[in-house]
Amino acid sequence: MHIGISITPFGHHPAAWREKSEDAIHFNALAAQVKKAEEGGLDFAFFADRLGQRPLNDLSPQAVPFEPTTLVAALATVVRRIGLIATAATTQHEPYNLARRFASLDTISKGRAGWNVVVSPGATARDQEYLDVVSRLWDSWEDDAFVYDKASGRFFLPEKMHLLDHKGEYFTVRGPLNVNRSPQGKPVVSHVLTSDTAEIALRSAELVFIDPASVDEARTLVSDFTQRLERHDRKRSEVRILANVIPFIGATKSDAQQLHDRLDALSPDRERPGGLVAIGTTLDIADALQAWSGIVDGFTVLPPVAPEGVDAFVDHVVPELRKRGLFRNSYEGSTLREHLGMHRPRHPASKAAEQTL
Amino acid sequence: MSKAHMKLGAFLMAGGHHIAAWRHPDAVAAAGVDVDHFIALTRLAESAKFDMVFFEDAAAIRERNINTASQAARSTMFEPLSLLAALAVNTSHIGLVATASTTYNEPYGLARTLASIDQLSGGRAGWNLVTSASELEAENFVSSGLRPHAQRYERAVEFEQAARAVWDSVDTGAYVADGKSYTDRSKLHPVDHHGTHFTVSGLLDSPRSPQGRPLMVQAGASDAGKNLAARTADVVFVAAQTLQEAQTYYADLKSRMPAFGRDPDDLKILPGVSPIVGRTESAARAKYDALQELIPDEVGVALLASYLSIKDLSRYPLEGPLPEMPATDGIQSRQQLIIDLARRENLSIRQVARNFAGARGHWQLIGTPAQIVDELEERFHGKAADGFNVMGAYFPGALQDFIAMVVPELRRRGLFRDEYEGRTLRENLGITIPARAA
Repeated sequence: MHIGISITPFGHHPAAWREKSEDAIHFNALAAQVKKAEEGGLDFAFFADRLGQRPLNDLSPQAVPFEPTTLVAALATVVRRIGLIATAATTQHEPYNLARRFASLDTISKGRAGWNVVVSPGATARDQEYLDVVSRLWDSWEDDAFVYDKASGRFFLPEKMHLLDHKGEYFTVRGPLNVNRSPQGKPVVSHVLTSDTAEIALRSAELVFIDPASVDEARTLVSDFTQRLERHDRKRSEVRILANVIPFIGATKSDAQQLHDRLDALSPDRERPGGLVAIGTTLDIADALQAWSGIVDGFTVLPPVAPEGVDAFVDHVVPELRKRGLFRNSYEGSTLREHLGMHRPRHPASKAAEQTL
Repeated sequence: MSKAHMKLGAFLMAGGHHIAAWRHPDAVAAAGVDVDHFIALTRLAESAKFDMVFFEDAAAIRERNINTASQAARSTMFEPLSLLAALAVNTSHIGLVATASTTYNEPYGLARTLASIDQLSGGRAGWNLVTSASELEAENFVSSGLRPHAQRYERAVEFEQAARAVWDSVDTGAYVADGKSYTDRSKLHPVDHHGTHFTVSGLLDSPRSPQGRPLMVQAGASDAGKNLAARTADVVFVAAQTLQEAQTYYADLKSRMPAFGRDPDDLKILPGVSPIVGRTESAARAKYDALQELIPDEVGVALLASYLSIKDLSRYPLEGPLPEMPATDGIQSRQQLIIDLARRENLSIRQVARNFAGARGHWQLIGTPAQIVDELEERFHGKAADGFNVMGAYFPGALQDFIAMVVPELRRRGLFRDEYEGRTLRENLGITIPARAA
């Protein structure tokens, strides 16, 4: 199975901050959580962005107080294996700027970056055009365009640069992108599945996050999505579907239940994160994940408290999953695509060349 | 404040500032997309106690003619704000300044991104505000077509005000997180900006910067650019060839500040300088000549043409003089500087192109450490500069040379610091940390 972790300073439970100090919001504390996740060999660390719904009129303890793409750039140089997914909204960046930012992140991280797309409310035609422009900008240069030939003075091969010359309804972009094709070819593109995003995710998502309230809902979401994928001429195997899971982990079942109840009592009226809730010992959590793994390709872990929830998952649940043969023993590749078992997308020019053979 | 020490920036650029730098035997050719290269260079500058590293930017490739472009190293490079974030957590004292456009960004998003880098670095981030003069950039954005100079500056003025309001929306001490309260609401001041170009509301999502606000850097040298700088800039980066040009600019800009209620010492003027240093004058000259030999004429002329905003410079004979040119909406000041130089020294197009290619119209110094420091000292003490933005011709070699030979001579004469004075960029520059605007 694939496992990622969603990072927050105090934990995903809205009351988690009440038992912590302000130190948790600093870079070193967040980096320590990501390092721990890397120690567990997890596929990626995920950074949400509540500024998709700006303007903000308060500061939320569930939000990471850094702009996600810059945080990921910084983390990429201090953790060296784990994938890093940053959320960014199509309403808040020009497509050229966003394509550059993520191509840069993929290069800085040496192939470990992902873009979690937040579309505009209702997911409009503008969003679809935006995603197409970004994806094609990432193909501005072929993989072997840069030859750096000092003797002849040729830095790149002109025929391996591709202008976009896009003139659409919403965007006009000449291109090319002024960043090389990135180590993964393209950063991994993910969407959180909602009724708004489903149509756009069907076309472009490589990684889909679902936050079901029940196992039945998870099953329905996945089977609906799979059927609709086929209508878009996409294979189920091209996409990884991961369910959010919120594990309350205790030495005993009642310890875990107490943690859950204590936190709930501290914030009775605040909204809880969406996802499957698992409460119990290491074995109980592993049992639940094992049972649900028949439905989805894996999970995004939303630790209710951090860093304890991250530590408990990595130190106890991950070894149990390994023992059961459900999770790899160590990283087998170096890029996020490799962690997720996905192919590196070929450049359209190399695909075309293949077809003419 | 004391004027004893000059401020030094290290202006970094992929393989180097010289257009043919990437072909130098010691240059890292793939430097533009090598994060380890930039981390090493920034640490090198930090080891010599430079005030800051500086990155320019354009949201486009630099050259329309693809054959010309393919012979230069300037077509691809990291998006500089991503790069700054990576540098922030790999350094501890040096300032980190990147360029971003007010024409192709929105104030909230850019202010937030810079605030994030400022937090990552503990108060060492700076923003070089540009309005983007190139057509190639305009063609990558929704509103294609280069906007007139005056319109770009009008937008920039409002952008800066809105960005400042975003930075001021969260005051020091806003995050409490003591178990009872997460924030102190009296420290939160949501933005409510309704202007001609932007509507911005809400709060920044990070704590107030340790240096108050990210450092504001500008390079505009037009009248509108100078007024914006006099009103808002902490550091100004400028191209000036002669002592007199530099003095005129320095006096002009600083004299505009009192009208905006500012102390002229609160703005540091750092002209660009490209020093090529050798133990002997002939060793320095040999380094320069070796680089000049690597410039293809086509590339040199195209680079010059792009700065002069003329599309067909290659039609004119290489051995002849520069043609007459109309005023443009591109970089007006830089164009005049090149023309003045060419007329003054009676240079052919090839000569201007070669000369320009080394430092893109910035001041070039070739000589021994003592000769170079003489020149820098003259401008520093002659009210022409508060310091310099050092543009290494090729990396890492030219920066290593400067640090090994020029910095010790500056220190010997008491012109440059031995240790950082503080942890934030503003502290090291000796600029007041601004309180939230009431």
